[in-house]
Amino acid sequence: MTGSGLAGVMTAGSQTFELARRSLVGERRQLLSVMPGLIFPLLLAAVYTKQFQRVLDMPGFPEVDSFLDFILPACIVQAVSFGATAAGSELALDIENGFLDRLLASPVARGPILLGRLAGAAIVASIKTLVILAVFLVFGAEVAGGLAAMLVMVLVAALLVLVIGGLAQVMAVRTGSQEAVGATFPLIFVSIFMSSAFFPTTLMNGWFRVVAEYNPISWVINPVRRLVIVEWSTADALQALGIPAVLALGTISAAALALQQRLTTP
Amino acid sequence: MSTVTVSTGLGHAGAVSLAVCVRGLQRLRARPVLLIPTVVMPVFFVISFTGAFSSLTRIEGYGTSNIFNWMAPYAALQGAVFAGVGGATSAADDLENGFFDRLLLTPGSRLPILIGTIGYSAVRSFIPTTGVLAVAALGGLQLPGGVLGLVSLFAATAGMAVVFCLFGLTIVYRLRTLRSMMIVQVVGFSSMFLSIGQVPIEFLDGWLHHAARLNPLTNVLRLSRQGFVGELSWDLTWPGLVAIAAMTLVGGLSALRALMKMAP
Amino acid sequence: MTVVVEATDLVRHFGDVVAVDGVDLQVEEGEVFGFLGPNGAGKSTVVRMLTTLLHPTSGSARVGGCDVISQAGEVRRMIGVALQDAAIDPLMTGSELMRLQAVLHGIPRSVIKTRGPELLERVGLTAAVDRRVGTYSGGMRRRLDLALSLVHEPPILFLDEPTTGLDPTSRQALWEEVRRLNDELGTTVFLTTQYLEEADQLAGRIAIIDAGKLVREGTPTVLKSTVGAPTLRVEVGPEHVETTTTVMTGFGAERPSREGRVAIGLDEGAARVADVVRALDAAGVTVIHLELDAPSLDDVFAHATGRRLEGSGDEQ
Repeated sequence: MTGSGLAGVMTAGSQTFELARRSLVGERRQLLSVMPGLIFPLLLAAVYTKQFQRVLDMPGFPEVDSFLDFILPACIVQAVSFGATAAGSELALDIENGFLDRLLASPVARGPILLGRLAGAAIVASIKTLVILAVFLVFGAEVAGGLAAMLVMVLVAALLVLVIGGLAQVMAVRTGSQEAVGATFPLIFVSIFMSSAFFPTTLMNGWFRVVAEYNPISWVINPVRRLVIVEWSTADALQALGIPAVLALGTISAAALALQQRLTTP
Repeated sequence: MSTVTVSTGLGHAGAVSLAVCVRGLQRLRARPVLLIPTVVMPVFFVISFTGAFSSLTRIEGYGTSNIFNWMAPYAALQGAVFAGVGGATSAADDLENGFFDRLLLTPGSRLPILIGTIGYSAVRSFIPTTGVLAVAALGGLQLPGGVLGLVSLFAATAGMAVVFCLFGLTIVYRLRTLRSMMIVQVVGFSSMFLSIGQVPIEFLDGWLHHAARLNPLTNVLRLSRQGFVGELSWDLTWPGLVAIAAMTLVGGLSALRALMKMAP
Repeated sequence: MTVVVEATDLVRHFGDVVAVDGVDLQVEEGEVFGFLGPNGAGKSTVVRMLTTLLHPTSGSARVGGCDVISQAGEVRRMIGVALQDAAIDPLMTGSELMRLQAVLHGIPRSVIKTRGPELLERVGLTAAVDRRVGTYSGGMRRRLDLALSLVHEPPILFLDEPTTGLDPTSRQALWEEVRRLNDELGTTVFLTTQYLEEADQLAGRIAIIDAGKLVREGTPTVLKSTVGAPTLRVEVGPEHVETTTTVMTGFGAERPSREGRVAIGLDEGAARVADVVRALDAAGVTVIHLELDAPSLDDVFAHATGRRLEGSGDEQ
């Protein structure tokens, strides 16, 4: 890409902003398509809170006043996962209808093509997280780590979108098909259930427990949950942010690499 | 022009119903990929719910000591919802690509088109149910209620597929798009949650307890689960059958009305 | 002759849009009737009403002597329909579809055992019957659709744009088949098309529809003769265009033409070509090229609507 130094960075920055705006406007138009990503996780959280109240007394279950506190991180992660693949399916659509080729032929930097959509999705995820936090607080959830912990949750949500969205973009660039990208969503839906999101791994058995403990989603959920139900801890906050940050770097680099390969191999 | 002897009346209606049903199965044979969501999702449900919530059986008052006995019928019913919606989706497909016109150009009543489609959904539901049972069997599923327990599970899942196919068709015939199927999918999935899918009704608190009591799917869940958590009893059977019959009637009438309105 | 398709003041609204605006037409037994018009003119809407798939907003129609609303079942028994885009399930094989179609129309199993293969052979698909329709070419799909619509030996056949999107060879093959059906079995064919050539080739009588209204009706020959004189086109060097125009307009009214050419409607037809040439010669004009075109259906269409049909349809 042309443009050097500060000017180049600024151009790339404004292009990222422009593309982010484009995907945000798309999101606003499709408010209806954002709603399931909010309503379903909230419904699940409501139902689980009402059906798992007896679970709280089990030996080995973390000490919480209500299952609502326990499930808050899971609800956020699930809400984020809805729509996170959109950054990929939009890209696949652009590939299908040739818009990507037009973008690539224009002097837009390669980075913004990927980052623009991800940034848009990350903003939406942050807003979703704020809504979920508000709903939980209204219904009596307590966040032990306070405002700082909530800020961490918003940032974690944004970072997770980058992880999942980056993954979806890799799929998009490699397959160029919306359908294939769409198939990543059930995969992520499944992985959330196979983690510590809805139940402590200490109360699981056998191979499933091993899978859940090694599931990166658990590594993010556990520190966030401690911030909610125990207290503020800088170490937990750093773990909660660090893991998705590293993963996001990985998936976005993979997406950039895939795009680069697509350009060089006709 | 030679005159053609054609069969009419009840025999013809039966033959058309069967043909529409068989056609669905022929399509599945041609593209088994269409089955993946119907089978994979419920199989995943049984694996993840039994895995994540296995310790529930330690709580006093949980209906069984084997988590697979509790979760397998629930996962199978979720699969049946998908199967039913899948049947309606194939009708939406037909509408979008024009194949539906071919069916509408059939002389005689529209009812066989409806019956064929729900028949296809019912048959289709056997596939996820079998898949769930197979996976659960690997995990140690037991069947204290014997063969009749299996029969009531298969009856309940087939009924569930019929009900959700009819609701799906009502939406399809009114909105005429494939996208509208998402609504039915989400409604079906969510209404299964507002019931006794994962824990017994005594575990449910507050509004959820009331919702589950009123939810007809609770009766269907009891019907399907009874053979896995104990002996069969008429008290657990008839409410489920009545619930399925009532929902089929309501769904059937609304689907038929929507069809007649769309294609007089 | 008996009238087998009859529409009386047929109207259809979709919301505020008037798709069909008072169409009257009559098709006689045994004829091939061409229903010609550009995309969106209302052809398919008329066909859907005549084939019982759509209720008219007002007006009435009878097919085979039966009312399309109150006797829809009887109408369906008498008609074969091949709709636009060949609504064929790509996941099924040709023979599976043939069997399904037979059941839908209540044809006994014993009958379809022989008739199915006969029909498929008739349209040249015998080798492909066990392949999934998804692997068929566009032409094969249309031919299969045609064979399916004949399964109950209908005396009246509706073909909605049967060759749209087909290559010339496939188009020819389908035309052949339609002619054969009409000749051998006396099947009445109601054919919609946006191709002038197709209407010209197949139809004994034509109705032209534009913006929901019939604008012309008659045999191709009569319709063309109503447009009047044939077009004489002359190509000359740029320096002669003005002179040529002056000379030629003495023989008939000027018609639009490309640059470097002059065209007129030649008032008394081919007999006067020699006179024109002589006059041009006398004026010192060197003629590069000369052609005389009999009026086409496109001229009929242009005459009726003020627009050209050719090349205006496909891209919409």
